[in-house]
Amino acid sequence: MPLQALRTVAKPQNGLGAFILQCKRIDFHYCDWAGSSKGMNQFLTNNLAAFARNNPGVECTVSPRPGRHPVLKAQYMNGREKSICVRNMTPKEILEKADLLRNANGEKLRRTRKPVTSVNDSVRGVWSPFHGAEWKV
Amino acid sequence: MKRLRLDRWATQSQPPRNPRLQLRSRPFSHTVRPIASTRDLQQTCQHISRRGLATETTASDVTPAEDIELVAPIESGQKPTLKAPSHRRAPHSAKLSALHARLSLPSTMPLQTLARCLIDPSVDSRPGYNNAPFATLGQDLLGYYTSEHLICNYPRLPMPIIFAAQYAYVGSQTLAAMRKEWGVETVAAPGQEVDPGLLQLERVKPGKALDESGTMQLKDMPMAKRLGNKARRREELNERRGVGSRIVYDDEFGDLRSEPAVDTEPFAGAPISTAGESQDSSEDITTPVGTTVEAASASFVRALAGAIYLHGDASAVKAFHKDHILSRHLPLHTLFNFTHPTRDLSRLCLREGFEPPVARIISETGRLSRTPVFVVGVFSGNDKLGEGAGSSLNEARIRAAAAALRSWYLYSPPDTQIVVPSDVEGAVLKQGKVKQWKPQMVDMGEIVT
Repeated sequence: MPLQALRTVAKPQNGLGAFILQCKRIDFHYCDWAGSSKGMNQFLTNNLAAFARNNPGVECTVSPRPGRHPVLKAQYMNGREKSICVRNMTPKEILEKADLLRNANGEKLRRTRKPVTSVNDSVRGVWSPFHGAEWKV
Repeated sequence: MKRLRLDRWATQSQPPRNPRLQLRSRPFSHTVRPIASTRDLQQTCQHISRRGLATETTASDVTPAEDIELVAPIESGQKPTLKAPSHRRAPHSAKLSALHARLSLPSTMPLQTLARCLIDPSVDSRPGYNNAPFATLGQDLLGYYTSEHLICNYPRLPMPIIFAAQYAYVGSQTLAAMRKEWGVETVAAPGQEVDPGLLQLERVKPGKALDESGTMQLKDMPMAKRLGNKARRREELNERRGVGSRIVYDDEFGDLRSEPAVDTEPFAGAPISTAGESQDSSEDITTPVGTTVEAASASFVRALAGAIYLHGDASAVKAFHKDHILSRHLPLHTLFNFTHPTRDLSRLCLREGFEPPVARIISETGRLSRTPVFVVGVFSGNDKLGEGAGSSLNEARIRAAAAALRSWYLYSPPDTQIVVPSDVEGAVLKQGKVKQWKPQMVDMGEIVT
């Protein structure tokens, strides 16, 4: 009987070859009437085109949300969504928030306890009691 | 603004959930509205009945579904409706251009081609408009680059492992995962009005689904499709099961070449309904069968590779392959599944003229305890071939032999020695940096077959 093989799927390593930005879409919601959307409306008229040009891989959509506070909603590759309410913010602050959403990877924010994670086995190997110098009491 | 309860005020235009109710109501509705184009009508009909209401449609646009369905199957000579969006809409799709930029595709590749790569044959069976020709080309290219990488880098890999590694790199499951990682979404249901930046496919109907008349389950119908036609047929299994026949006859994964699912014959004694055939004959031509999301995603990625080759050159598609496929992590040593490693190892030593392998204990602990550990090495003369730990002497010996075999099979020549054929031949020549060809060592592979 010939050698048997096990079928698996090769794991992705984003950034090792190609880098795919994890933010795929940002929705800009605004209101024409409400005062909290003042900065958002300025942002949409003055800054949005440049933002979209700088980030061609992110789909930008603009839609009204009358009578509500302006919101940025970002969708990510992992299926999650992050939204930030940008009421009463200046265009500059909104741009910062949009950049924040763009740079996020969509995961929940959590504390990283170990600075390094790897898919490979440790090069040094797992410690074994049977190797190395003998130790005596 | 308050959210519109679309489902509330659209209920009248939607078909009833129970298809039998719809059947009964049909003969009594006499109102047939003359409407300009039948194609638009059918679109609207699909639009409404499959997806509920999109946000753009207003109440006045919506025609009651009953009326539409009466009008829809008009003249027998009418052209079948297309289910895929037109290529003219491709430059206006934000999703498409975002995808183009996200994958950093070459600027020579137009958005229209990218849109065509997203059209599965299940929604548009015309080979000039769907991605099937690109996918055939792309599959060959991706398979070629993967296999030359594997064979030149690991010249001693046995054939089953090469098949499994090919599947892990460019198999349909991996390519379907890549489609998700690229952020390409699938349509809920195909139609001309959907965004061309979505993967257009008609899903295969589940066997439990009812047919159009609502009286029979699809699995009882003659055209019921067999899922997973990759499985080997029993008669073929009996005829040929060797690795040699898989190399010659089968695809790059050692699977049977998947025949088009249209040919699949009904099971013996299946009831043949003539009524269903006569009604749906025009629809069957356009969309013979549905497909699975996995198969459609894989053919999208393959088609993209083919399109990059056609619009760029071989070096572009090679760079694409290196960036997106070879950059994935595949630990090859986990693919091996040995059945008799000790026997294989002694055959190997015989073949290579080494001294026959001998297993010796290196260390041990707790031999009489509940959890003993033995560390055993296999030695050929004074050379240690492999080492393994186990809770019995036999287990440790077998693990040691398997480790020795893995290290034999996974030999890789130094980086400077490796020249893959595509480095030398083809379109890379014109860039001026031609590698000198060195003959590559390829081992005979498996020790025991």
